[in-house]
Amino acid sequence: MAARRGSERTLGTSRRKFLKTAGAGTAVAATLGTVTLSANEAKAATFDAEYDIVVCGGGGAGLPAALFSRWLGNKVIVLEKAATLGGTSFKAAYWYWVPNNAAMQRAGIPDSKEHFLKYVARLSQPQFFDPNHPRYGLSEWEYSMCEAIYESSSVGAELLADKGALPYRHVAPVPDYFAEMETIGATGRVLFPKDGAASMSDGGQVATRTLSTSCRRDGVTIKTSHRVEKVILNEKREVIGVEAKSDSGQFRVRARKAVIFATGGFTHDPELRRNFLSIPVYGGCAAMTNEGDFIRISSTLGVQLRNMNYAWMCPISFEKAIAKDPSLIGCFSVAGDSMIFVDKRGKRVVNEKLHYNELAQKFFEWDGANAEFPYLVLVSIWDQRAQDNSASHEYGRLIVPPGIDDRHVIKGATLEELAANIDARLQKYHGQLGGMRITSDFTDNLKATIARYNELAKTGKDLDFGRGDRIVELLFNGNVKEEPGRKNPTMWPISGEGPYYAALVTGGTLDTKGGPKTNPNGQVLDVAEQPIPGLYGVGNCVASASGRAYWAGGGTLGPIIGFAYRAANTANKEPVKS
Amino acid sequence: MLTAGARNILKGMVAATLYVALFAHAADDLTAARELTVRQCSQCHTFDKGEKHGQGPNLFGLIGREAASAPGFVYSDGFKEAMKGKMWDAALLDRWLADTLAVAPKAQMVYWQDDPNVRATLVRFFESNR
Repeated sequence: MAARRGSERTLGTSRRKFLKTAGAGTAVAATLGTVTLSANEAKAATFDAEYDIVVCGGGGAGLPAALFSRWLGNKVIVLEKAATLGGTSFKAAYWYWVPNNAAMQRAGIPDSKEHFLKYVARLSQPQFFDPNHPRYGLSEWEYSMCEAIYESSSVGAELLADKGALPYRHVAPVPDYFAEMETIGATGRVLFPKDGAASMSDGGQVATRTLSTSCRRDGVTIKTSHRVEKVILNEKREVIGVEAKSDSGQFRVRARKAVIFATGGFTHDPELRRNFLSIPVYGGCAAMTNEGDFIRISSTLGVQLRNMNYAWMCPISFEKAIAKDPSLIGCFSVAGDSMIFVDKRGKRVVNEKLHYNELAQKFFEWDGANAEFPYLVLVSIWDQRAQDNSASHEYGRLIVPPGIDDRHVIKGATLEELAANIDARLQKYHGQLGGMRITSDFTDNLKATIARYNELAKTGKDLDFGRGDRIVELLFNGNVKEEPGRKNPTMWPISGEGPYYAALVTGGTLDTKGGPKTNPNGQVLDVAEQPIPGLYGVGNCVASASGRAYWAGGGTLGPIIGFAYRAANTANKEPVKS
Repeated sequence: MLTAGARNILKGMVAATLYVALFAHAADDLTAARELTVRQCSQCHTFDKGEKHGQGPNLFGLIGREAASAPGFVYSDGFKEAMKGKMWDAALLDRWLADTLAVAPKAQMVYWQDDPNVRATLVRFFESNR
């Protein structure tokens, strides 16, 4: 135990140092914003470099936007804040969800525009959904944004594939997350980087490599460790460049045509999180550099912030989030069959296999009578059987094999010992959890909960929470021990004998999905709904029209490719600014 | 006119002062190198002995060890293949940091640093970190 504590301390030091130097939070806020140059100043201004299109951010939105811009003949530079490329998408599985994609068309899988728009409308704004309404209940803006996804994502994905920047394989059997819903969900919309692993978990690494290799092959300049801090405006308030900072000093770039922001959301800015998200999120698996820079930079430009209250959600290890562990990955697949989640009373409260965006909502249920979030942290509990058969280093699973960082795992030879260790661990986080402890009847309740769960597991029917009832829950079940003849592969009785394992789980973000409102061509709009000349935004740094919904695996990256394509094509036609 | 003895004492003092100055400079330099390394690399790596692997392996004692050999880290096939039989030394590390994909075209780490001063600082840190 002493050694473990020692390594936690050193980890803490370097993480803290990292965060300090990366400039997390408000300390740096004052440096972000805009610079307006008068006509004379603009004429005399010295820029370190001049490009047609400047792309801020080298992740899942920035790299495609840079390539699309370059292929139209523009001189393009990418300024990436982190030392490496890929941003959040590097850590992602990089499924990309592309409606009516070319592979579907070749395979004869129908996917009409009406079919697609009904699906996204139903999920994004369920309270307004009306299949007979001309826009199915969506606002004009939401409808036009979703229409753009249908029209352009496949065009962008095909161009990336044709140019060798993002060759894909079509994973036809992957269903939408609500594939069974009212017969409007579909299968076949998911594409995946061609050379990715069979488990489909490493697409981000493959895509970052192929996209950045193509950037260099085709002459896109890329500068890493360059944080864009300011947008430079001329007297007409047109965007004519940006100012970035790196270890070598300040770097000012003139953008003849446009600046495209693709700098990610505000997952790692505690102040923005606290003020815009309505729920107490501790962090998430976005790149550590996603600190809401574009929110702060654009705040002087009269933009309209939209969809700020929602995020792409996933369960996360509570302890990794508190430790600000940059290698944190959301639990996209909750591992184990002889495994349950219980609350502080030792009771099951949720279907543990509900897919990530929806499962994550449970942690934030409010108990009005007691004025608290009773499920803010749930405890995942599993037995040796699950440990032996379901451990994996992929998809952010909490059950990990030997050799992988397991400091989040709590152990106990018996349920009593496990409960005592869970309580000790919770006390360590007293200040972050408002003093949350397990209740005095936790162990008794846990035993009763396990007895009930085991009974349900034997029949294969979860009468309490419907675990394993939906298609997507089987898709994300992860490795489980082969048990011939069982009806429900997500469930198996928890052993009556220890050792037992546990981990603290809370809800987190892949990243946030609010920001300045753009039109379907990625142009950032001012309060009068007019595009700010020369300013574009793509990806999680701008407002998503998806509301709270997570439509399908790749529901972030597929649409982003469509918007990157449209933004590049519109920016390409921008007049050269003086 | 100083006596030989006084000259020697003076020489000694100068040397001592120089030594202190140089030593302090070296220590500052290493602190700065560590800070730069943390800024550049800690998103994926840890640096101290016994720390857990992150997205990338723990890098304590990197210089002088065989490539792809950190116990318990799952390396990609592309990296293992390209780095087979190679030892990490200052020259290889400099080439790696200049362009990871030029050294191992199928590596997962996509990093390049075209400023030789930044690379030299990173290499200096890793040479000291063992």
